[in-house]
Amino acid sequence: MNRVLEIAKNPLLIALVLIAALLFLGNTLSPGFASGGQILRLLIVAALLGIVAAGQNLVILGGREGIDLSVGGVVSLSAIVAGNVMNGMDGGIPLAILACVATGALFGLFNGLGVTLLRIPPLVMTLGMLGVLQGLLVVIRQGIPSGRAAPALSEFVTRPFLLGLPGIIWLWIGVGLLMAFILHRTVFGQRIYAIGSNEQAAFMAGVPVRRMRVALFMLSGVFAAIAGLCLLGYSGSSFANVGEQYMLPSIIAVVFGGTPLPGGKGGYTGTMAGAVLLVVLQSILTTINIDESGRQMVFGATLLVLMLFYGRGRGLRA
Amino acid sequence: MTKLKLSGVSKAYGATLALRRGDLALDTGEVHVLIGANGSGKSTLCKIMAGSVRPDAGEVLLDGQAVTVSGPRAAQALGIGIFYQELSLADHRSVAENICLPDLPKKNGFFVDREALLEKAGRYIALFERVAGDSLHATATVGDLRADQRQLVEIMKALATEAPILIFDEPTSALDRAQVDRFFEILRDLKSEGRSIVFISHRMDEIFAIGDRVTVIRDGETVGTEAIADTSPEAVIRMMVGVQETLATPQAAPPSHEASHEIALTVEKLTGLGFRDVDFEVRRGEILGLGGLHGQGQSALLKALFGAPPARAGQVVLNGQPLRTESPRAAIAQGIAYVSGDRGRDGVISGRPILENVTPIHALRNRLVLARPGPLSEKALPALKALNTKFAGLSHSIGSLSGGNQQKIVIARWLIDKPDILLLDDPTKGIDLSAKADLFALIRRLAEEGLAILLYSSEDAELLNNADRILVFNGGAVSRELSGADRTRYNLYQAAYEAA
Repeated sequence: MNRVLEIAKNPLLIALVLIAALLFLGNTLSPGFASGGQILRLLIVAALLGIVAAGQNLVILGGREGIDLSVGGVVSLSAIVAGNVMNGMDGGIPLAILACVATGALFGLFNGLGVTLLRIPPLVMTLGMLGVLQGLLVVIRQGIPSGRAAPALSEFVTRPFLLGLPGIIWLWIGVGLLMAFILHRTVFGQRIYAIGSNEQAAFMAGVPVRRMRVALFMLSGVFAAIAGLCLLGYSGSSFANVGEQYMLPSIIAVVFGGTPLPGGKGGYTGTMAGAVLLVVLQSILTTINIDESGRQMVFGATLLVLMLFYGRGRGLRA
Repeated sequence: MTKLKLSGVSKAYGATLALRRGDLALDTGEVHVLIGANGSGKSTLCKIMAGSVRPDAGEVLLDGQAVTVSGPRAAQALGIGIFYQELSLADHRSVAENICLPDLPKKNGFFVDREALLEKAGRYIALFERVAGDSLHATATVGDLRADQRQLVEIMKALATEAPILIFDEPTSALDRAQVDRFFEILRDLKSEGRSIVFISHRMDEIFAIGDRVTVIRDGETVGTEAIADTSPEAVIRMMVGVQETLATPQAAPPSHEASHEIALTVEKLTGLGFRDVDFEVRRGEILGLGGLHGQGQSALLKALFGAPPARAGQVVLNGQPLRTESPRAAIAQGIAYVSGDRGRDGVISGRPILENVTPIHALRNRLVLARPGPLSEKALPALKALNTKFAGLSHSIGSLSGGNQQKIVIARWLIDKPDILLLDDPTKGIDLSAKADLFALIRRLAEEGLAILLYSSEDAELLNNADRILVFNGGAVSRELSGADRTRYNLYQAAYEAA
């Protein structure tokens, strides 16, 4: 009986069951909702969210109230940077990738330094950074054109590449494998869990706690920037605040996937399932004609309900 | 006339018997000193009087009537006020509010009467007028005060209860001479008013300056009560030590191992938070004990050698090289190991597998990038075996183990790549006897392999039985060094209790 309960409490399993249920529900409401092409489209959108959530996942795992509210701003900025650098030409893609990664890493570095050196709580630091990014986006939009995606990039995101799946799905699978490798097979990964579960003990065992934390915020920025680049390929051209919709869902995907907000435990597999779940949910809400504001309310309420279940308090009973 | 009488009071925390048979008879109008070694049970006895701990058995008589001190508020109602050793002040509030906190003057039954508050606090501040310093005034914020001023505020808070029975648990540790003298004058005034005072101090000179009678507690039991006028510091220490050692017999089994002559660590004029001007040398193969009462700088010194946080001044030389101790990371790289007694805070990475709890130091010292379970397990298993650690599997969470086994895991992480210096900061706190035996057997073995070991223990017996030499700490400085036949409980107590 306990074993059954144990399995039933597995966040990954819960998410998968809910995904199946939602797909079934969607198909009942609107026949064709769970068709192959539609599911592929949902997976592409989920991949974008999932890549953002990978960085969010790392920051949250590191504990000490770790959270990155600036991911949405980085996604938007990265899409604009990429659009302007490549400007519709395939030859510009390598440079665009470089520019995006640098942008993400830079803003992640600011977040990390603010949190570690200035001791600003992550919630406040990254919220402030989001404000800075939003302002920056307004300024940029007035000065320079929004930029266009190179054809090869759009193809990578939307056209089948291997085994009928577009490149971005493969990229996401790659991110998933990379995350699993980092978290479970590297010393860096063990140190992420260590600072998340007992920072003082990690410090006393020689873990460079501050450098770790800066690195996590930089990784979060880089993942968000890569998602921004792919988002440009998905939508063809970038527009300001295109990334705004990623902040809340990236956090929900992580928490739903079994990484509690206090950090120190969990992983990325659950987060991937959480990302798919949210995208399916969003799609259902769109199908039954609930507008953007309604969807935001549902997402906000989902996060609060999740908090109720997983608890914020002692998420780390050994 | 007996004001308060405790007889046969006992208290157990889980399996640990903190107080076996506490007896105390407090007379009206006396200063009654309570004294006992580390962990003898005197704090528990005080907490029982103050109502913050309920006794398991025994009787409390107040003015001849049996009473139950069911909580701090009940104690207050019965007329028992207490000064807590671990300061209980609200840092962000004013001095006046802190002094009057147990009984804030009210207006209309609800609102704080500010004028009455300032007036009441002013009376107690005035008592220490000449010695407290100008910055201590009614509206000052407690968090801005110096350590001695904070302690004075805590004293005023106890005095402001106006209770007929006042308990002071180490009230003078941060005070200077003039402040102590003034405090004693006030205590004498209170005594002449007919109030009864329980006084705990570790300074023999203070005890003999202010006390009327002294009660000695040893191993959770009241040994006896003497009039101060009829006894001497030596006699009191003998009571604390117990009969078996009154002749200052050397330890039965002096550690057989002879330290090599190679000096591993030299500490010169090391000064930091809680300790000052500490000098010593440790040789390879030697176990150097740090003794004395709790919190006299032993733990702070060990942490400073590990860089958490570093010392403020002084020099440390390890194997002929100056030691950099800016962080634990730097200390570890230079061959320093540190084991904290507070494993929940400083040691255990909760919720993570045993393997990850054993290997972080190995990974750091070898700059590993990959954490491959196979090779890491091969490194971890011998280290765990050396300590007789009991566990089901390396992938199990460390939380599934008993306290003693958790501590073994935390210690084992230092055994994969041997350090030069092992710092043990009360390493056996809260672990079972068999784990302690395993641990001390290992420590001796490590010393024989050439490690230099610094051991602080809150249990005097552990030091006396295991250390080759003992530095006795008193007030942040080394007051005496005990070696060879001098390593007796009597000498240890005498050095610990004499005026710092």
